[in-house]
Amino acid sequence: MDKRAIKEGIKDGSPIFLGYFTTALAFGLLTRSSGFTFVEGVLTSLTNFAGSGQFLMMNLYNGGAFLLEIVLSVFFINARYIFMSASLNQRLKDRKSIIGRFFVGAGTVDEAFAVASFKGEKLSYSYLIALMLTSYSGWVSGTAIGYLVGNILPEIVQHAALITIYAMFASLFGNEVSRNVKAIAVVGISAALNSLLILGFDLSTGLSFIISMIISVIFACFIYTDEEVFDNE
Amino acid sequence: MNKILMILLCSLVTMAARIIPQYISSLEKLPKSVKKAMLLLPTAALGSLIFPLALTDFASSWYAGLGGVVVAFFLGFKRTSMIVAIILALVATLLLLMI
Repeated sequence: MDKRAIKEGIKDGSPIFLGYFTTALAFGLLTRSSGFTFVEGVLTSLTNFAGSGQFLMMNLYNGGAFLLEIVLSVFFINARYIFMSASLNQRLKDRKSIIGRFFVGAGTVDEAFAVASFKGEKLSYSYLIALMLTSYSGWVSGTAIGYLVGNILPEIVQHAALITIYAMFASLFGNEVSRNVKAIAVVGISAALNSLLILGFDLSTGLSFIISMIISVIFACFIYTDEEVFDNE
Repeated sequence: MNKILMILLCSLVTMAARIIPQYISSLEKLPKSVKKAMLLLPTAALGSLIFPLALTDFASSWYAGLGGVVVAFFLGFKRTSMIVAIILALVATLLLLMI
């Protein structure tokens, strides 16, 4: 245990805490309006610790998708962690601890990965685990509080709260477009295809999502150059 | 559907993607094209995540969903923090529902 490294991890993790806490408020509210119990909502954040993956799960669940479609879609959208975790593993100061690696792997989320990747030095378990636990506590406590706040909101606000999930995706979309305008084409194809398959061909939400995601990611690989993708890591 | 089972299976596939690479370091050397697709997947998914459900969830008040999406998109484009974007989108949808 290295006290200095733990302190630094908490310090670097506090902006992530804030961002996760506020996003998780919306997630907690969503689980409530989707008919989850408090325990089910918090359990989701405790065991998954995955922003877009969890929102995707709720999205497909509310759309009436099958279990297998939901799990497969969640795996697809979270497959990027394979690469992030492998990359963090290369930067560990000590790569022997079996338990240490377990926690570093479990805590590999986008923002913690980004922060750790910009550290110039080799990473210690104390630093990484403090960073990840700080992020994790924001995510879990935000979910719990978001769910409880939902109890005191009037019905029309709860109905309107259905928008929170889409607002999150739409704000990410806006952010992507400000970084690279090509995102409009990729997101547009994905949206058009999914709408066509669901509304025109009456396909199930989950299957339609998987097909649309695969076709639009292939399209994205063609129109984005390697530099545009790998410079943003 | 059993919600607990769904939650735990989603956790299983997510955690497997994160934890297994810690023990099999050859995964760092995945082909570049596979890495590229993995990094672009979240962007590609966004379109299908928003449409058509953001509209159909509100049934005949679909414009309330559209209004919220447009507000959040614009604020995201302006790099406003996500929680502000979500709250203002919620306000927009609420106002449109009350019309």
